[in-house]
Amino acid sequence: MKYYPTIGIECHVQLSTKTKLFSEVDNDARGKEPNSCVSPVDYALPGMLPRLNGEAIKYAIRAGKAMNCKINQYSRFDRKHYFYPDSPKGFQITQFYHPIIGEGYVELPSGTKIRIEHAHLEGDAGKLTHFDTYSLVDLNRVDTPLIEIVSMPDIHSSADARDYCKELWRLMCYAGVTNGDLYNGNMRFDVNTSLAPEGAKELGTRTEVKNLNSFRSVERAIEYEIKRQSKLLDSGEKVIQETLGWNDATGETTGQRSKEEAKDYRYMPEPDIPPIKLSEEFIKEEMEKVPMLPNDYREKFGGVIPNDTLEVLLDYPQLMGKLGELSDKSIKNIANLFSSVLLAEEKSSEMLEQLPTGKQLEDLSEMKEKGELSSTGMKEVFAKLFDPQMKTKDTCNIAKELNVIQENDTGALEAIVDGVIADPACAQAVADYKAGSEKVLGFLVGQVMKASRGKANPGAAQQILKQKLQ
Amino acid sequence: MEITREEIDHLAGLSDLSLSDKEAESLKGDLENIIKYISQLNELDTEGVEPTYQVFEMENVWREDDIIPQDADREKLLNLVPAYQGNIGTQDNQIKVPKVL
Repeated sequence: MKYYPTIGIECHVQLSTKTKLFSEVDNDARGKEPNSCVSPVDYALPGMLPRLNGEAIKYAIRAGKAMNCKINQYSRFDRKHYFYPDSPKGFQITQFYHPIIGEGYVELPSGTKIRIEHAHLEGDAGKLTHFDTYSLVDLNRVDTPLIEIVSMPDIHSSADARDYCKELWRLMCYAGVTNGDLYNGNMRFDVNTSLAPEGAKELGTRTEVKNLNSFRSVERAIEYEIKRQSKLLDSGEKVIQETLGWNDATGETTGQRSKEEAKDYRYMPEPDIPPIKLSEEFIKEEMEKVPMLPNDYREKFGGVIPNDTLEVLLDYPQLMGKLGELSDKSIKNIANLFSSVLLAEEKSSEMLEQLPTGKQLEDLSEMKEKGELSSTGMKEVFAKLFDPQMKTKDTCNIAKELNVIQENDTGALEAIVDGVIADPACAQAVADYKAGSEKVLGFLVGQVMKASRGKANPGAAQQILKQKLQ
Repeated sequence: MEITREEIDHLAGLSDLSLSDKEAESLKGDLENIIKYISQLNELDTEGVEPTYQVFEMENVWREDDIIPQDADREKLLNLVPAYQGNIGTQDNQIKVPKVL
């Protein structure tokens, strides 16, 4: 039987504020010793008082703007109780009743719109590492600020789910609210999948696959769940509502808990943190700080940069920003260099952090257009714009040093062409061309290039050769 | 209001506590008393009254996003962890707990 999948996604985004959500300690624990970024608040020592980080509120407004969401002028925090060693407080501080970010939508590259139900601020939990009989607890991540983004069940294929997660990642990176480091778990996805017979009005029983940290694993986990649930339904069995884990190595989902009972988190208002009340001006001011987003760039560059190249480059906000600095006539050349040279480099991530100036790139493209640089020459000069020894120089000077400026001076070129025509080694080719063989022209152009040590402009050389051999 | 043994067991489970019959029975009595006491509030008509979330009537109490060195460093905090029963204590600068999955 054919089933129609319905998918909703919850996404946790770690915010890149300097300090945690409720304590004044370092929020970036990457590469730091376990339990070195903690305070008595994270330890939940008696008498501790969480103090809200105002910057996280601003980040939330920007994240909301990126998802076309309404920002709620009134929001507040609640305690969500659960017992687990990753949370010394015994509860998570979250926004259950009054989230800061209201309804909105994310538009996929395909044009499909996925509605956002809401998004809220909350503190992350600590990290557990499990051993045979015990677990070790690292509290560095406790109360790192998170935004949990809850989508409506508007997704109906694994491919759209992947595109949605990727677009969310881009939006959060462009809005500047996260480091977007997926490898370090900066974004984590929980995926709800249910199947119903085609045309059915009611949704089927859903399962939730938790803690996916790559777009690929989101796609694979959904494909697996669709297959698994189809098989169950085909054989007349029921899908059990349960929380599942994903094993990337085996490509299967696995049950995490044997018995699924209604969760009882005993939510109550967080008495230590007074509510947030935002003025319209405050919200507007923060929203205006959001720079151009992927869709703005799609509109701006759509006719100039080929679609597939643009979609690749969109993963790198730095590159989009740089292209935005350039004049229209240079964009295509430079976009091409970004995708074919820069991103192909092994050290591309370092290079992204130290891009050439707009002027250097503009000059580079102009030299190519004027015929002063061949495609190869342009790539060589481009690579040197990242060289610590060279990068402060003008593009033109680098090209001169590399000796790659093409000979466009007709007088000098003519002298070289004359030399080639007079060369006895070329006599046969010259005779063949005059007898009507067009294809030897390539050989003769090659000889001119050789005589000029690669600096001749091949187009110009060909033209002069043709004239002289008429 | 009567609290059932099931409700006691459910609450104990949420906090990962195991109770003896005697403890459960005594807690049942305590909880019933507490709820009876609080239930007096039900005599008031609170229709249309906004719940009190906090008593100071403050709003927007935020701090700057600046890192402040903490008096309590890692060693001090790890020293607070009780050490007993083998699987509770500290190890490799982390807190060691019995495995819970």
